[in-house]
Amino acid sequence: MRALRPSLAFALLLLLGIAVLVAIVPLLPGYDPYTQNLGASLLAPGDRSLDGRLYLLGTDTLGRDMLSRLSLAGRVSLFIGFFAVSVSLVVGVGLGLIAGFFRGWVESVIMGIADLQLSIPRVLLLIAVAAILGTGVFKLALLLGITSWVAYGRVARAMALSLREREFVLSAITQGATPFWNIRKHLLPNVLPQMLIVGSYELGQIIVLESALSYLGLGVQPPLPSWGLMVSEGQTYLELDPWLSVLPSIALFMLVAGVQITSQSFTAENDMSAEVVKAP
Amino acid sequence: MAYFILRRALQSVLTVLGVITVTFFLVRLAGDPATLLLPVEATNEDIARLRTALGLDQPLIVQYLKFLANAATGDFGVSLRQRTPALDLVLERVPATLELALTSFVLGLLLAFGIGLLMRLSTSARLRTAIMWVALARQAIPVFSFGLILILIFSVWLRWLPSLGRGTIQHLILPALTLATYELALYLRLFNASLAVEQRQDYVRTAYSKGQGRTKVILAHMLPNALLPLVTIAGINLGLLLGGTVVTETVFSWPGVGRLIVQSVSQRDYPVIIAGVFIISLIFVVVNLLVDVLYGFLDPRVRLS
Repeated sequence: MRALRPSLAFALLLLLGIAVLVAIVPLLPGYDPYTQNLGASLLAPGDRSLDGRLYLLGTDTLGRDMLSRLSLAGRVSLFIGFFAVSVSLVVGVGLGLIAGFFRGWVESVIMGIADLQLSIPRVLLLIAVAAILGTGVFKLALLLGITSWVAYGRVARAMALSLREREFVLSAITQGATPFWNIRKHLLPNVLPQMLIVGSYELGQIIVLESALSYLGLGVQPPLPSWGLMVSEGQTYLELDPWLSVLPSIALFMLVAGVQITSQSFTAENDMSAEVVKAP
Repeated sequence: MAYFILRRALQSVLTVLGVITVTFFLVRLAGDPATLLLPVEATNEDIARLRTALGLDQPLIVQYLKFLANAATGDFGVSLRQRTPALDLVLERVPATLELALTSFVLGLLLAFGIGLLMRLSTSARLRTAIMWVALARQAIPVFSFGLILILIFSVWLRWLPSLGRGTIQHLILPALTLATYELALYLRLFNASLAVEQRQDYVRTAYSKGQGRTKVILAHMLPNALLPLVTIAGINLGLLLGGTVVTETVFSWPGVGRLIVQSVSQRDYPVIIAGVFIISLIFVVVNLLVDVLYGFLDPRVRLS
């Protein structure tokens, strides 16, 4: 199985490409994701417009520079991804630790909500909520964050269950430590590394969800670009100008594959240490 | 066993109840349906009259109980656009969604089974690595992007298959392939892992010591045992697949429930959205229940947990 594991170097290369796209491209001369130039619409990558300007990745239907839009879309996706992961991490770790530490009815309620949420397809839940509460980058990020806490919650609870029986927690309790002091000082630092691994995996998932919602027209709204939205805008012109959909798809693939492989290499290390412990 | 089924059935009912409760209160949170229904120039008296007619002037809890009572009889209200019962609109689309989901489910299993077996029987490590890389790469492409790439290759360039709509078996191929390949990497890894577990069992050693060949041992002895986990995970994922149909249906203009929900969202047709969400979560829950019960029969250890 070891030989099958895709190399981390490849993943980092993909992520480097994305980093250049979102961090370096906006510094280049000619960066302009919004200005329409109807005289230069639907140019192929590498074409020059009539006034002699070079468009490295071509233009969209309204003559906007594709490279600039891809770059801005990447920034939007990454912002939503990191924001949503932070929100779900805080909510999930909080609820998970409370459930695992207090047990009893508190645990039943929290885990009941988690089970309920897992029993509906996440895309459907997000569509229903987005339909009703409306869209927008900030709302979308918050929504994705709130609906993604279960993964952290379950792991945090499982870890809290074993941690609460450990001597350092018990001794703190006998010396009069309050539950929340214990959760903050003893449980949180112990679960945090594991949570960051979950978070790195979730980042890819969130970005895929965001792009899917934007593709359906329920996520990021024009004129702001998003890779999913760009794919859907380009679908009409698939026959003549396929790069309109293909370029954002490639960008999505680079980011998602990069994030997934990197996070898998974290978990792979963990799995291996687990195997070492289990081996007789 | 009866207790196990009863408990799981009760859980399922609670889940569906939870889903429509959440959707109901979200809709009320979004604003007054009366102002949404009436044109902008409606007077305050018009709005008040409609609120009384719709029962919106009653306490929220009364409205909620009424909504539940109506929903129990299959009445989710009338579509704001089409003026037909919302549930009927949704039910019309259910066969299309089920057709797509079930075809993708079976196709996904067949692909995982065929390719997984090929990986196990082949002696080339390079081939196995290559297959795994392709499957992992597929997993990193979102459903809508992959669907579009398939359209580009098979409809636009090669002109072999139609890019949208439903009707013939050709229409089904691309959407089903899009959904079926998404979990392929997971299935392959699982199938490989369970084959590896079986490989260490005593009965396999016995078979080899009897002088049976590698292919025979894998096909006749290990395979039946290694299939169970694959089928289970695929069954659990059938629900996720149902979620995936929402996006796939939009990509391929497949006339299913998912596409209806997405269209109703842009038209703010709330009764249809609620009915659609209800039907999909109902299918989801029933499928999960069936998988659990089936697995309880196959593996008695599950019932105890």
